[in-house]
Amino acid sequence: MAEDLEMATLAPETKGVVIHEGICILVCHTGGEHFAIENRCTHQDTALHEGRVRNGFISCPLHGVRFELKTGEPRGDLTRIPVRTFPVEIEGDRLRIRVSES
Amino acid sequence: MSETMKPGEARAPGHTYQEAIVKDSSPPPAAFLDYSYEFLGDQDIPYSHYTSREYAEREMEKMWPHVWQMACREEHIAEPGDYQVYDIGHLSAIVTRTESMQIKAYVNACMHRGTALKSPGDNGYCQTFRCPFHGWIYSLEGELLEVPEDWDFPHVTAETHSLREILVDTWAGFVFVNFDREAEPLQDFLGVLPEHFRDFDIADRHIETHVCKRLPVNWKAAEEAFMEAYHVKETHAGGREFSEPVTTYDVYPKNVNRFIHTVGSVNPRMPVPPTEQELMNAMWGKRGANEGDCPEVPDGATARDVYADIVKKKLSEQYGLDFSHYSTAQTLDSIEYFLFPNFFIFPGLSLPMAYRFRPDPNDPDYSYFDLYFLRPHDPASRPPPPPEPMMLDVKDSYTLAEGLGFLGAVYDQDTDNMAAQTRGFKTCAKGGQTLGNYQEVRVRHLHQRVADYLEN
Repeated sequence: MAEDLEMATLAPETKGVVIHEGICILVCHTGGEHFAIENRCTHQDTALHEGRVRNGFISCPLHGVRFELKTGEPRGDLTRIPVRTFPVEIEGDRLRIRVSES
Repeated sequence: MSETMKPGEARAPGHTYQEAIVKDSSPPPAAFLDYSYEFLGDQDIPYSHYTSREYAEREMEKMWPHVWQMACREEHIAEPGDYQVYDIGHLSAIVTRTESMQIKAYVNACMHRGTALKSPGDNGYCQTFRCPFHGWIYSLEGELLEVPEDWDFPHVTAETHSLREILVDTWAGFVFVNFDREAEPLQDFLGVLPEHFRDFDIADRHIETHVCKRLPVNWKAAEEAFMEAYHVKETHAGGREFSEPVTTYDVYPKNVNRFIHTVGSVNPRMPVPPTEQELMNAMWGKRGANEGDCPEVPDGATARDVYADIVKKKLSEQYGLDFSHYSTAQTLDSIEYFLFPNFFIFPGLSLPMAYRFRPDPNDPDYSYFDLYFLRPHDPASRPPPPPEPMMLDVKDSYTLAEGLGFLGAVYDQDTDNMAAQTRGFKTCAKGGQTLGNYQEVRVRHLHQRVADYLEN
């Protein structure tokens, strides 16, 4: 079973990428919340981390598919497949990303 | 009905809206006192204008591509690369912000084989517009930057195959587009609107709530449901006597009309008029608007003025802004301006809505209704990003949208009439709608403007 990931919290409105258990995870701190999603667009496998985060969504930098950070659900016509999301817990200035539960 | 009056001359008994508001302690904007009613005829409006596919196709061919339409707010495209898609019928535009912070709009189709570059209604961010089919790439300025395997396209250049630009302009923080590159400038199309909105700060408002609902009625009938206050008594007030608001209806060349009706004033038809304190109690308690005891109206003051001051103070605290310069009428009244063909805006302080209606391109019996609540912010600060629209289907209640507050139930009442009207259009043997000369003049104005385009 996959181990959870522990890391420091991010500064507000920033994002970071970590590779853990063979998964590239994109962590975003936006609108006062941390989110963790797989860093891979379900449309054509592009890395998402260069996309802009706004209003709880990230836009894929390639063709612009938007994913809701909370649920991974896509918007628009290019894909119907949600991006994988991971539950996040905060303890003080530490994050625990529940890779085991995703 | 008086025999000596010409059609359209009759008015509701008692004072007019304009006569009512000059009694407010604060002077209303001059535009509020204007009378601009015009008798536009009294023929029935054929039901086929709503139900006929052929009529809807003519609208799509001859009207929609040539009129200015509100595509989004400027804050939808705050930074370079932000974009918003606006769809009308089979037409689609991408509205974007370029690197030099210009707003531009393009036809949403790749110049290669026509693929739509962005999904319907979508918004988001991109550094370039990249077609998902073969990867042709366009800059934010619309210029063709890259054609994969360009050895095969000696006949393609940036001059011939850059994105097709369409007209775009802004007013009061709204971004308008027009698919007709020969169209008149937006400023001319707006007519009296900029002048009438001089005393409002619409540019310094932002979208707080956005609901997009599918409606079971033709787009024109959907708009018409919001064009008159004649329905208020039966649709919203349970048919209670003297619940008719005192309303002015005005028509302006060519694309603007309005109604304004009072809130919290005496209905002149009441045999025994209520006291100012009774009017105050009614406003205070309406739909749970306020908590605590209703304030007393001092001798010589009016409920409207006392209540307007309370509303201004409450909103000033809520939004950290000074609204003391707003008159009582600006603060309380239902002020609805319409810009042909599909945009409504309420500049008042208490009722801060904007509406946009669009036809369902596949079925004239359905339409889409974007309902926005606009709230003020400090002009020196950036507006918050607009919320994702909440999508509601025909049967979904507006009360699912928390941001609408008590108005959610009111909009449900309006929508209930729509499906019934669509059914009635098809069974009614009479063949057309009969309109009141005064109270329903805006409906006729809409149809006459549509006809101007269709017959031209």
